[in-house]
Amino acid sequence: MKLSSVDFYLNWPVSIKLKNLRKFIIANLEKKGDVIRWSIVDIQDSIDSFGTKKLKIKAVLAN
Amino acid sequence: MEISPTVFIVPTGIGCEVGGFAGDALPTAKLLASASGCLITHPNVMNGGTLSEKDKNIFYVEGYSLDRLAKGEIALKKVKQQKIGIIFDSAIESEILVRHLQVADACVSTLGINVHSYVVTKKPLNIVIDSDSSKMSGGIIENPDTLIDAGKCLLEKGVTAIAIVAKFPDDSDSSETNIYREGKGVDPISGVEAVISHLISKFLKVPCAHAPALNPIELNENLDPRAAAEEIGYTFLPSVLIGLSNAPNIVELPAENELISLHPDQIESIVVPNGALGGEAVLAGIEKGLNIISVKNQNTLKVTNEFYEYPNLFEVDNYLEAAGIIIAIKKGINLKSIKRPLKKIQECSYQINNME
Repeated sequence: MKLSSVDFYLNWPVSIKLKNLRKFIIANLEKKGDVIRWSIVDIQDSIDSFGTKKLKIKAVLAN
Repeated sequence: MEISPTVFIVPTGIGCEVGGFAGDALPTAKLLASASGCLITHPNVMNGGTLSEKDKNIFYVEGYSLDRLAKGEIALKKVKQQKIGIIFDSAIESEILVRHLQVADACVSTLGINVHSYVVTKKPLNIVIDSDSSKMSGGIIENPDTLIDAGKCLLEKGVTAIAIVAKFPDDSDSSETNIYREGKGVDPISGVEAVISHLISKFLKVPCAHAPALNPIELNENLDPRAAAEEIGYTFLPSVLIGLSNAPNIVELPAENELISLHPDQIESIVVPNGALGGEAVLAGIEKGLNIISVKNQNTLKVTNEFYEYPNLFEVDNYLEAAGIIIAIKKGINLKSIKRPLKKIQECSYQINNME
């Protein structure tokens, strides 16, 4: 097993309700590896006319 | 006894004004535990190097397991005593290792803690601290498998909780370390500490906590009182052993024929620093509609409710106010009844469906 520390950006569309946000993030993180630690560390509001927000996520993943 | 189970989180490595140093949120934890009657919190809150305390109203739960509790994947079971094993990183110098072993013996002889045995990893863990740790501390270990193998060895010997002591790079003169010691920055090593304990929680599913092994550092006369607990003695191990000594067992859900002391469905509130709403426990709490009490506690993050607009969130100025809200929740008092001005109740309009 190898660990890697990653910072990545994820668009949060308005179609994803707040109560589904965690599962949405996990589903995207798991594409990159087994999740050891993660957190949203920054959010940018409304990056387009649809109200999409941009999340910055810091994670440690295992592969 | 009336309780309002509450999770208290101070995220590791984001420079929180309260709780970002060496166990300096412990008095706050005691306050919130007294208010709620049942507080679940993590080692970063409770561990003050050599200093710590037990509290019958506090569950000491490692961060990864705390997240799983918030998600409803596990429950907690109180125990009178854990049988603790210690994993030592093989990179620790022999003199520092002896200091730690003597501390473990002292915890047995003086505090009556059951420290059963220890193991030294087959390979060094090889800590790598993120170079950009000014905003949020982070990093990894290069040999996670050797850590997990050592933990498995202890569990096979009958150990029920694991303390880990990893060797951290000797950077006592680094600017980050000195800024932290003077109360101005982010704890540069706490992010990796979290990764180490998360690995044990994730793969071995037992109570655990981590203490760093560091060489003695130069006296700093400008030391901030919040970092002072780390200046006592040669190791940070005592607080870890005290916390683990009766940390609750992890019970995987669904559980049949297993006595449970705290089921996740009992949790009513999560207390978290304002700006730090991006963690998994908070988002899991929001999924369940829990009360989120967001406390002004200066830190490096800005993930606030401005982006969520979550209705069950209470923003408060300090932890004294948070304790008041917890008491009101526990007693079933409408918070609006306490505040002024007090609005009149509203009339609802409705239409009758004509079924004819």
